[in-house]
Amino acid sequence: MADSDHPENADKEPKSMQGSSEEQPPEPREDATRPHPALEPTEQDEPAEAARREAPLEADAHASHDDHGLAHTMPVWMLVAVLGALMGLTILTVSVTSFDLGAEGNLVVAMVIATIKAALVVTFFMHLFWDKKFHLILFLTAILFVILFLSMSITDRGEYQHNIDLYQNSTSAAK
Amino acid sequence: MASPSATADVVAPRSSSSDNYLTHDKGVLSWIFTLDHKRIGVMYLCSVLFAFALGGFFALLVRTELLTPGKTIIDHDTYNQMFTLHGAIMVFLVIIPGIPAALGNIIMPLQLGAKDVAFPRMNLASYHLWIVGAVFMLTSLAINAVDTGWTFYTPYSTTTSTAVVPAAFGAFILGFSSIFTGLNFIVTMHKMRPPGMTWFRLPLFCWALYSTALIQVLATPVIGITLLMMIIERTVHIGIFDPTLGGDPVLFQHFFWFYSHPAVYIMIVPAFGVIGEIIPVFSRKRIFGYKFIAISSLAIAFLGFLVWGHHMFVSGQSVLAGTIFSAITFLIAIPTAIKVFNWITTMYKGVIHLDTPMLYALAFLWVFTIGGLTGVFLAVMSVDVHLHDTYFVVAHFHYVMMGGAITAFMGGLHYWWPKFTGKFYDEKSGRIGALLVFIGLNVTFFPQFILGSRGMPRRYYNYLPEFQPLHVLSTLGAYTLGLGFLLTAFYLYKSLKKGPPAPPNPWGGATLEWQCSSPPPYYNFHKAPVISAGPYDGYENLVYDEATKGYAPRKSST
Amino acid sequence: MSESTSESAATTAKKGGHGAPAHAPAHGHDAHGGHGAHGGHGGPHLAHHFDTYQQQFDAGKLGIWLFLLTEVLFFSGLFCAYTVYRGMHPEVFVYAHYFLNTSMGAINTCVLLISSLTAAWAVRNAQLAQRKLLVLNILITIACACTFMVVKFFEYEHKFHDGLLPGPAFHPTEQVWELESFKHKHPEAAEYAEKLTKAAEAKDHAKGAAPAAEAAAAIERPTEEELEPLIKAGVIGPEAEDQTRPSKPRNAHVFFGIYFFMTGLHGIHVLGGIGVFIWLLLRANKGQFGPKYFGPIDYAALYWHLVDLIWIYLFPLLYLIH
Repeated sequence: MADSDHPENADKEPKSMQGSSEEQPPEPREDATRPHPALEPTEQDEPAEAARREAPLEADAHASHDDHGLAHTMPVWMLVAVLGALMGLTILTVSVTSFDLGAEGNLVVAMVIATIKAALVVTFFMHLFWDKKFHLILFLTAILFVILFLSMSITDRGEYQHNIDLYQNSTSAAK
Repeated sequence: MASPSATADVVAPRSSSSDNYLTHDKGVLSWIFTLDHKRIGVMYLCSVLFAFALGGFFALLVRTELLTPGKTIIDHDTYNQMFTLHGAIMVFLVIIPGIPAALGNIIMPLQLGAKDVAFPRMNLASYHLWIVGAVFMLTSLAINAVDTGWTFYTPYSTTTSTAVVPAAFGAFILGFSSIFTGLNFIVTMHKMRPPGMTWFRLPLFCWALYSTALIQVLATPVIGITLLMMIIERTVHIGIFDPTLGGDPVLFQHFFWFYSHPAVYIMIVPAFGVIGEIIPVFSRKRIFGYKFIAISSLAIAFLGFLVWGHHMFVSGQSVLAGTIFSAITFLIAIPTAIKVFNWITTMYKGVIHLDTPMLYALAFLWVFTIGGLTGVFLAVMSVDVHLHDTYFVVAHFHYVMMGGAITAFMGGLHYWWPKFTGKFYDEKSGRIGALLVFIGLNVTFFPQFILGSRGMPRRYYNYLPEFQPLHVLSTLGAYTLGLGFLLTAFYLYKSLKKGPPAPPNPWGGATLEWQCSSPPPYYNFHKAPVISAGPYDGYENLVYDEATKGYAPRKSST
Repeated sequence: MSESTSESAATTAKKGGHGAPAHAPAHGHDAHGGHGAHGGHGGPHLAHHFDTYQQQFDAGKLGIWLFLLTEVLFFSGLFCAYTVYRGMHPEVFVYAHYFLNTSMGAINTCVLLISSLTAAWAVRNAQLAQRKLLVLNILITIACACTFMVVKFFEYEHKFHDGLLPGPAFHPTEQVWELESFKHKHPEAAEYAEKLTKAAEAKDHAKGAAPAAEAAAAIERPTEEELEPLIKAGVIGPEAEDQTRPSKPRNAHVFFGIYFFMTGLHGIHVLGGIGVFIWLLLRANKGQFGPKYFGPIDYAALYWHLVDLIWIYLFPLLYLIH
C-alpha cells in the first residue's frame, strides 16, 4: 500500500527532470563496442541495426533492440509464446470442467488457471516485468483492496445468512 | 539557513504584473476551454461556493422547520427532500471536490514548481464533469427531489417514487470528476517535481493532496458501481438488494460505505494540509514533525479503507464484523492526533499572527478536536447502538465536516486569496466573519450532541416537545453561521471589486507559490525553480516591508 | 497544443464512458486539437508542460495504470455481488449455467486473447516506427473486438429468445432438464425430472386420489445419478420454487441479472476500446507514432489488456460453473 512504498526518487534527483534539453537517452554500451547482435544479452530480440536513437519519428527502423529508449520493446517470439500459453490454459480450463472435483474444487481450479492466465497477461502483454516497480505495487494494491472488500462482505454475509434462511423458510412455508 | 528558493531563476517577484493568468486570455470561451490549472481552479472555486450556498440554503430550511415540533414551514415529505438535498449537495458537490479541486488546482502546481498538472485536458474534463453531475442533481430537484437521505439506502431508494435515478447518476458522474482530479494530482507529484524537490521537501499541502488523491482513485470507483447497481436495481429489478427477490439490502450498505468512509477522509485530509500550511507561516516557525505529519496523511488514507463497517453497527451486520471495524476505527485516532499535537507544538514559542487565516486554523483545532473525539465515542460499538441515527452523529460529522473541512477551506481561501486574486480583503471584516462562523458553528452543533444523547433521532421531522429549546438554540446558531458566511461573501466580493493590490508574499510564506507574482503569471515559472531547502525553512530571512505590505527576502548586509 | 496529454486525456476520458451517455458530450472537446504534429518548443508531439519525451511517456504510463486501478475497483463491486450470491445460493448458479453456451464463451475468450496479442504487438510496432505493421495490428485488434461483440450479440439474442432475462422478465421457455446441455451431462436426471413432471401434471388433472397415487407409485425410487444433479441445480429440494414438482430454484433470475450486468458492462468497455482503437488507427495511418512518441498506443493497449483480464475471470465464473 502506498504508505509502505517509498515513492520513487525519494531523496534523489527525479531522474526525468535532469535538464530540460536532454531528450536523448544516456550513453549505453551500445556505442562503446557495438557487439555482434548474436552476442547481445537474451532480452534483445532481433539483430540490431539502425541506431534507433537517431531514427526520426517516421523512420522505418526495422528490428532494433530497444531497451535504451523510452521503454523496453517486446520481442515477437515472446508475444506469440505467451499467446500460445494462454490458449493452452484456456483449453485446459474448459476441459477440466468435465471432471468432477466437488463443487468447490472446480471453482478453485478454474480460479487458479484464470489467475495464471491473468499473471501472464499482466507480466508480459502489459509489460509489468520491465516496468517501474511502482506500477506493480499499485496493481497489487488494487487487488489487495478488492480482496479486502470481498472478504469482509462475504464474511459478514455468512454470519447473518442464518437470519435470511429463517426469513425465507418462514415466508415459503406461509405460501 | 538557506533562503527558500536559492536561485535567481525564479521570476523576480513583482506585484500585480499587468499580464497574469487572469488577464492572459479574454472571453468566456477562453475560460470554458482553458487548460490552465489556475483558471480551472478558480472556476471550481466559484462553482463549489455556489453549491455551498445552495446546500446551506437547504440547511437553513431544515433548521427553520425544526424550530417547532410538527409543521413549521414545510410538510414532512418536503422535509425529507430538503435534508437529502442538503446532504447530497454538500457531500458530492462541495466538500469532496472542495479543497482539492478548487484550492488544490490553483495552488498545488505552484507549490510544486511545475508549469501545470500532468494532464491539463483531464483537469478541464474533471471540471466539466462536475458541471454535468451538478445538472443531474438539480434535475432531480426539479422533477421530484430525492428523499432517501444522501446515503441512498435500499430498499427505500429502489422503491421510492422520487427522482432517485438523476440524483444517483449525478453522483456517479461526480465520481469521475473526483477520480480524474486525483489521478492528475498523483501523476503530477510523481513526475513533475523540479530539480531538488524531493518527496520530503514537498509542502504538507501537497502531501495531503497526494494522500487524498490515492483515496479518490481507489475508493471512488466503488461508489460508481454501487450507484450503478442501485440504478439498475431500481429500473430493472434484478434483485441484488431486494430481499423479496433474494437480494441483500445490507450488501448495499457495505458497498456504499466502502467508498463513503474513505470519502470522509477525502474531505478532511486536504483540510489537514491547509492547516499545515497556515500554522507555520502565522507562527513564523518551522512546522514541528514534518515527516510525521506527511506520513500520517498516508496512514490515515490507508486506515480509512479498513473501517467502513462502523457506519453499520446496527444494520444487521454481524457482531464479528462490527468488532473488527470498531477496533480498527480506534486506530485512526492515532495519526490524526499526531497531526494535532504537531501543529500545537509548532505554535509553541512561535510568534503568532492572528490574521484571518490563522483564526480559522485555530478554530479548526478546537472544533475538529471535538468532532474527532466524538467520533471515538461512536466507534465504541456498545455506545453506538444507542447513538446511531441520533443527533449525536449529526453533531459529530458536522463538527468534523463543517468545523473541520469548511473551516479549513475558509482558512485556505483567505490565505491564498491575495495570491490568486492579487487583492487584499478587509482584515477586520475577515476577523468578524471568522468569529461569527466559529460562534455559529458551536451554537448550532453543540446542542445537537446533547439532543442526540437524550434520544432525538436524526432525519426526524417531528419530535417531542422536550427537545424544542435545544432545537431553537441550534437554529439560532445556524442563522449566525449563515450570517457569518454572508458577511464573508460580501467582503470577499468587495475585495474583488475594490481591494488594495497584494504583493507576492503578504504572509511571509516560504513555499514556492509565494515566489511568483500575485496573481501568478500564466506560465507559473519562467524556468523550473531549483529547490535547496525545505518548505518551512527560512522565515527569519523574510522581512516585512510596510511599503508593499508583504514579505521579501532580507537583503544581505554586505 | 498538448498532443500527448490530449491523447492520454482523451483516451482516458473516452474510457471513462462507463455506459454513461451524458458522459460522451462532455469529453467530445478533449479529442480536439490532438492532431497534427505541433511544433512546441520541445519537439513534435511533446506537450508544452513536459520537458522531455521520457517524462511525458512516464507520466502517461503512470496515469493509465492509475486509471486501470479504478477499473479494477469498479468491476470489483460486481465480482463481490457475484461471490456473495454464489456463496449463498450455489444452486441458482448451477441451474443457470446450463443455459449458457460454453462454446461461444470459449470462442470469445480466444478472440480476446488474440486481440491482446495484436495490441501488444502494435505497441512494439509503434516503438519501432513500423507503420504498416502497426496499422495492420490495430486493424486486427479492432476486428477481434468486433467479433467479440457480434458473438455477444448472438448470445444475448438467444437469451432474449429463450426468455432468460433479468428480474421480473425471467420466463424461461424451456425447463432446464429439457436443455441439450443438461441432457448430455445428466441423461438419467433429465428423464427422472420428466417423469416427476408428468406425475405431478397427472395429479393436477386427476379426478381422484387413486389414479394420482398410481402415477406416483409408477416412479421408482431415484438413484444418485438421477437425483443429485437436480438437487444441485435447485430443481428439486428445499431451494426449488415449487415444492410439488421439478421447477426452477427460487430467485433463479438473480444469476441472469448478474450475467447481463457483468457482461454488459464489460461489453460497454469493449465498445469504448473499439472507439479508441479506431481513432488510433487513423493517427497511426498518418504516421504519427515512433520511438519517441508511442504512448497513446501503449496506453490503449494496456486498457485493452485489462478488458481482456476481466473477461479471463468472467469466463470461468459465468460459463464454467460445475
